[in-house]
Amino acid sequence: MAGAVAAERLRLNMFGHAYMAVGAVVIVLLFYLAIAAQITQASYDITRLQDQQRQLIAEQDQLRYQEVTLHAPAQVQQQAAQSGMQRVVPSSYVQGTEVAVDLEAPVGASASDTTPLWLRAVALVVNTVGGTRDVQAATKH
Amino acid sequence: MSTRALSARRPGTVDRVGSARLRVLSMLALAIVLAGMVWSRLAYWQVAQHGRLTVQAQAQYREFVQLPAMRGAVFDRNLTQLVVNTTVYSAFVSPDQIVAADRDRVATGLAGVLGVDQAKVMTTLQSSSKFAYIARRFPKAKADKLRTLKLPGVGLQEETQRSYLPGIASGTTLAANLLGFVDWNGAGRYGLEEKYQKVLAGTPGYISSYRDLSNREIVLGSHTHQDPVPGSDLVLSVDASVQYAAEQALAEGVKRDKAESGSVLIMDPATGGIVAWADYPSYNANDFNHTDAALFKDNVLSYVYEPGSVMKVVTLSGALNAGAITPTTVINDPGYLKVDGFWIYDWDRRNHGNIDYTYVLEHSLNVGAMKAMLAVGHDAYYKNLQAFGLTQPSGIDVAGESFIPLPSAAQMQDAQYATTSFGQGIDVNMVQMLAATNVVANGGKYAPPHLVERMGTQINPLLLQSQRQVITPATAAKMTAMMEQVVQKGSGWTSRIRGFELDQAGKTGTSQIPVNGKYTQDVWTSFVGFLPAQHPKFTMLVVVRKPHYPGSERDWTLNDGYMTAEPIWKQIAQTIVVDWHITPDPH
Repeated sequence: MAGAVAAERLRLNMFGHAYMAVGAVVIVLLFYLAIAAQITQASYDITRLQDQQRQLIAEQDQLRYQEVTLHAPAQVQQQAAQSGMQRVVPSSYVQGTEVAVDLEAPVGASASDTTPLWLRAVALVVNTVGGTRDVQAATKH
Repeated sequence: MSTRALSARRPGTVDRVGSARLRVLSMLALAIVLAGMVWSRLAYWQVAQHGRLTVQAQAQYREFVQLPAMRGAVFDRNLTQLVVNTTVYSAFVSPDQIVAADRDRVATGLAGVLGVDQAKVMTTLQSSSKFAYIARRFPKAKADKLRTLKLPGVGLQEETQRSYLPGIASGTTLAANLLGFVDWNGAGRYGLEEKYQKVLAGTPGYISSYRDLSNREIVLGSHTHQDPVPGSDLVLSVDASVQYAAEQALAEGVKRDKAESGSVLIMDPATGGIVAWADYPSYNANDFNHTDAALFKDNVLSYVYEPGSVMKVVTLSGALNAGAITPTTVINDPGYLKVDGFWIYDWDRRNHGNIDYTYVLEHSLNVGAMKAMLAVGHDAYYKNLQAFGLTQPSGIDVAGESFIPLPSAAQMQDAQYATTSFGQGIDVNMVQMLAATNVVANGGKYAPPHLVERMGTQINPLLLQSQRQVITPATAAKMTAMMEQVVQKGSGWTSRIRGFELDQAGKTGTSQIPVNGKYTQDVWTSFVGFLPAQHPKFTMLVVVRKPHYPGSERDWTLNDGYMTAEPIWKQIAQTIVVDWHITPDPH
């Protein structure tokens, strides 16, 4: 009797193991399917986003071309002309003049001040009273 | 027992058993043969044909997509972008996927958005073809409109296109002949685009991925991917503002002179970098497929001409450098010289008497140039031409350089030496001639002409090389002084710029065009000059081809360089003076 019960338990355990195995396989399969579905969905999302990205890049290219064109000399001249401006040839140029400073002179003591003494005295009084800083800076030694 | 049993059987039974065995065996053999046939066929497909079937299978669910590399941009010296990559679209249809009931709607939609002929579209839709383009390379705005219509059997294909800046007129783009263009296969054609194709194009990548039944990419599936390597950007020595001014002045000048064509080339004297490169007539590089192919030719580099009296700068510089002459050396010019049995005249056929070489250059006298060449000798003169770079191509980094080599020194006849000294009987392109003249502006050094200053982050190696000394700085200074006199007292007077009258150097050139070995009345005219003379900021060469200046039918000298090329030079130089804030040297 005991042997029969044990055999029955064993038989049940064998079915149990089989169910468990099948269940595990089913769970793994379902898990795999769920993951695969997610991956596929993600793939399609990425494709859609890539498509959007391409369109945005195309739009960016257009904007860049517009921006570059706005700075192009042809466009600048056209807009200037519309604003009533036009390129003119300068009627005269500032002619170069001889430089007063002797660049060949050795570095050292500055040239002596040739301002007359009376003018220096007047300047000192005026500067002291008026406080003209530029003049003070120029004559202070 | 069995023996007995068997023996107890009737004789016919034994035969039937044997027959049954035989049938079984034969069936077994047949089955084995059939199975063998199937197995061998399977083995054939699975083993022998494995590779081919794998490829075919992969072709069904794998897709190999080339990833185009972004083509490098092109900038001018101030980093103004001269070329922009833009995305354009092409519309195609699959007529076999469009049912008859939808054809009218599809044709109407396509014609409405793309502006194509509706009847033609209808004809395409009624054909049995599987693929046909309806319109190529239209902008995104049209593509967006087309998308919203959701027309069956209609697809959009993205493509990259080079877009160039607008030029002086609506039908042109800036520096079209210099830059060239990129064709629909992504290959650079003409100019810089062709010369720097490998650098600009980069290396395309690829992606190999799986596709589902709807032909959609399964991005996260197994795939291999190689990123494209984008092309390098180029930074040119060109100044877009000067380029525009040059094109504008040239177009006005060529129209005014009723000339066939004209070109302008401006160089940085110190580096040899090209500042402007203009041709007229030019074309619209954004619409190259509707352009006459003859306009693609770049006359600056692909057109050789006889430089005329501009060559006297080279001849006299060589003679000065050799010590054979000085600016004040006096010669007698009766207005002609007999060389090798040929009488060769000055342009005015006048007796000029005793004159010095400064006067020779001022008045562009052929006899003086020939005497300078004779004074230095044939061999030294030929070496001089070599040193100035006139016996070999300039080697500039633009596609399509034309070059006609001179005969060797020994093969050249006396008459050719004589005519070459004043710029006839020698063919050069503008780049060669400008680079040669620039030697004077650059203190006697030859600055190799070039366009590209930087490729990506790499500096053009030419800029790092030392420059070849062709003539001494003292000789260059003497020639500069002589060229200043050309502007102040000679044929260069129409190029004078207010404020720079005493600080401007130049030389005119006019040469008759030979046809079938005979010189015609048509001429090439040119003017080369640099400014300020003592500290040059630019050297410029203007060439006008076949001018017909008003009144020139009575007096052909009106077609001369001083009437045709010089005013163009002056107009451009004035713009550069203002744009670059150039001031004259004190005098």
